[in-house]
Amino acid sequence: MTRNLVWKGALIVAIAAAALFSAWPLHETINLGLDLRGGVHLVLKVETEDALRSETNKDLDRLLQELKDGGSFSAVGAQLSDTSFEVTGVSSGEDGAVEDIVADYLPGWNWRRDGDRLEFEMQDAFVKEIRNLAVVQALETIRNRVDAFGVTEPIIQRQGLEGDRIVVQLPGVDDPERVKDLIKNTAFLEFRLVAYPVGGGGVSSREEILANFGNRLPDNLEILSGPIKNDDGEIVAEQFYAVEKRAVLTGRDLKNARPGLGEFNEPIVNFLFTHEAGKIFAQFTQENINRGLAIVLDGKVITAPRIRSRIADSGMIDGAFTQQQATDLSTVLRSGALPAAITYLEERAVGPSLGQDSIERGQKAGVVGLTLVILAMLLFYRRTGINAVVALLLNIVVLFGALAYFGATLTLPGIAGIVLTIGMAVDANVLIFERIKEELRHGRTPKSAVDAGFGKALSSVLDANITTLIAALFLFQFGTGPIRGFAVTLSVGILASLFTAIFVSRWLFDLILSRRDRVDALSI
Amino acid sequence: MNFLHDTHIDFMKYRKVFVWVSALLLAVGIFAVFVHGDLNLGIDFAGGTQLTVKFRDEPELDRLRELVTAAGVEDVLIQRFGEPGDHEVIIKTASVSGSEEGSRGLIVGALDEAYSGPELAGAFDLNRNGREALTDLLVQLDAESLAADSDAARARYGELAAAVIDARQAEGMFIETAELDAIAGLSESARRAIKDNTELGSFAVLGSENVGPQIGSELRQKGVAAVVLSLLGMLLYIWLRFELRFGVGALVAVTHDVLITLGLFTLAGFEFNLTTIAGFLTLVGYSVNDSVVVFDRVRENLRKSRSKPLKHVMNLSLNQTLSRTVLTSGTTLLVVGSLLVAGGDVLRGFAFIITIGVVIGTYSSIYVASPFALLWEELFGREARTRRREARAT
Repeated sequence: MTRNLVWKGALIVAIAAAALFSAWPLHETINLGLDLRGGVHLVLKVETEDALRSETNKDLDRLLQELKDGGSFSAVGAQLSDTSFEVTGVSSGEDGAVEDIVADYLPGWNWRRDGDRLEFEMQDAFVKEIRNLAVVQALETIRNRVDAFGVTEPIIQRQGLEGDRIVVQLPGVDDPERVKDLIKNTAFLEFRLVAYPVGGGGVSSREEILANFGNRLPDNLEILSGPIKNDDGEIVAEQFYAVEKRAVLTGRDLKNARPGLGEFNEPIVNFLFTHEAGKIFAQFTQENINRGLAIVLDGKVITAPRIRSRIADSGMIDGAFTQQQATDLSTVLRSGALPAAITYLEERAVGPSLGQDSIERGQKAGVVGLTLVILAMLLFYRRTGINAVVALLLNIVVLFGALAYFGATLTLPGIAGIVLTIGMAVDANVLIFERIKEELRHGRTPKSAVDAGFGKALSSVLDANITTLIAALFLFQFGTGPIRGFAVTLSVGILASLFTAIFVSRWLFDLILSRRDRVDALSI
Repeated sequence: MNFLHDTHIDFMKYRKVFVWVSALLLAVGIFAVFVHGDLNLGIDFAGGTQLTVKFRDEPELDRLRELVTAAGVEDVLIQRFGEPGDHEVIIKTASVSGSEEGSRGLIVGALDEAYSGPELAGAFDLNRNGREALTDLLVQLDAESLAADSDAARARYGELAAAVIDARQAEGMFIETAELDAIAGLSESARRAIKDNTELGSFAVLGSENVGPQIGSELRQKGVAAVVLSLLGMLLYIWLRFELRFGVGALVAVTHDVLITLGLFTLAGFEFNLTTIAGFLTLVGYSVNDSVVVFDRVRENLRKSRSKPLKHVMNLSLNQTLSRTVLTSGTTLLVVGSLLVAGGDVLRGFAFIITIGVVIGTYSSIYVASPFALLWEELFGREARTRRREARAT
């Protein structure tokens, strides 16, 4: 054996060993896609218009407040669209003051005077910034919520760099409805003072409250309703409260929230305020002992207990919850509020039994296919067929090694890609072997026929495989998860087959030809 | 084994006959897809909701269809899935108009009403709830009398719930509570608590998918773009590597293959989904691959004998590569054949495309790609140009 042969042999063995090492044991090294291992895949859209609307609303309030502080009491504002509003009742003499306020507090706005009206329009860059911020914040919030759900290896990422879509992949999650509700939950929590009935609790009709205020509710109050639940947590009736519009504290002021059990073993939510909020709450409760405190969730009063003593930084919400509601509410409170509503555009939930079934069937098809191809190679090429079989087996080892090494995800179409690779990988061998046969027929010696066969078939082999790679590239570019898995296994399979057919198979020929001094015939 | 060697088939002689064969097949395909409109678009492209549901007893498809339709869901398609004894069905419906979020709730609600007996009202259905919900239930029951609001207790109940749900998912659903006895790692008290506080419903949702109209239409556009762009990419590659006439020949052949396969795929009633696109793009690659090997040989032979007419060289090259063409198609057919037979419902459509595609692709690399390259040469080649110039000059 020449040194060259030894050197190449060592390289091949090393590559095979590395591939085996990286892929062994298979069930631990290969990432299974959601379609095979089971789980939930969601594509959701952050309704960024919500964030724009609330920003516009907030900025308008701010402007009016500043105008009032500066002495313009007649200013009236109205929101025109998600990104514009108008203000009337401001004389043109006050334009300078408006300009100062805008410069100080509303830097993202353009404004102009149109007669009596001031028109405000959000700048494009600011619109973009708010949209972006809403998605980033939603991403963060969703991540927190999913973490609380105890999912291993979740994927939560923005689709593209600028879009308003988020992709969520949760392996092993078996209850898509619950996880969807949890992610989507706005859970806007507020603590507000109850004005009537003064000591908390509710009354059975709106009219009773209105009557109490002489049929005209003061500007700082509003009437909210809340459910009355029976022991099973089912809603049986509604009750009403007059509460202050302004919230003392909101969910944003919570440092922590955890589910727990109350006095009668009923599920409750325990919470802890941040240090700063705790001080505010202590003072507030001190001043309002024996009045009612409404705990408002998404505009519904879930409970309105009487304040019995000064409360500093912790408390509990007893809202006749089920255990599940208490768990989910504390998760959502811990994770922070969503900046905008969410719409689910795509949802794919697969149970593991379906995936397991697919893997077994794919394996079966692969083994049957492989056996048939091996038999065909041995039948057509006799002993040289062994060469093709070795190349094919090595091809499969390298394919799995590469999949494991690069952490590629195996999907159901990916399994099809592997099976297909088994059939197509021998193509390169067939091209070369047929050429060698032809050259032998032209009367060449085995050695020169092998040389000529490899030399002449090379361009065909490359061209043929590059066209398949081009198709795989477009597939990858087009693809969603499972299809990408297919494009990956097909491409890796083709590259591996180029290596085995051109390099390994050639080495095997050289090895055989070098064994004997003069080789008269090839079994091909 | 010497196989198909030294053949001297005059492929080019009969090319006109095969133009008609191809035209006929194409007409059937185009009619099936575009005129008759039989293409069975899956929810990936049409948008809609698809549920895979397992029932305890054999479900009646007609009854299911009535139930789901009565719930106000449109375009309901119900078919059996898996092996006969599995009692599994696929329920496929169109998108709910004006909504991205689909009809899962409506369908499950309708099934609930029809298939869940009175004992299930308000009870915890072990076949329908997930790990988290079961954990919550165990925490609430405090089945092992731990200090229930501690993290350790929650973690412990989480493990128990996972063991139970994993056991259920391995089979799809629990049929009887006795199955709980076989679960290792479940303490007697927890087992008791679960048995006493849960019921087993008569169906379980194994999988659910919803594609909103927005994503559906995007996938449609992207799918068409991927196929068209890959075809152009092939044309470009062959143009650069060979000559335009070969590129045109290959492009005609591959378009021919795709359309005929699509026609047969449609007639066979398979669902057109994302995996189908993967199948067709693979077919594109395979079909061009086949043509390229022939062209490669034509190019080599042309270099050797410049004087011989292209038609003769093509015949020679086709004969020289015939054994390879047949062998490679054969091995590919062996594997996709086993995929078609043993690969299961989900991959059957894909395997069908490759199987048909390989057969058509092999035929077309011989009878379509080369003749069209030849035709292009006759119409626009150097000789044709010279002839035209001479004709103008006289």
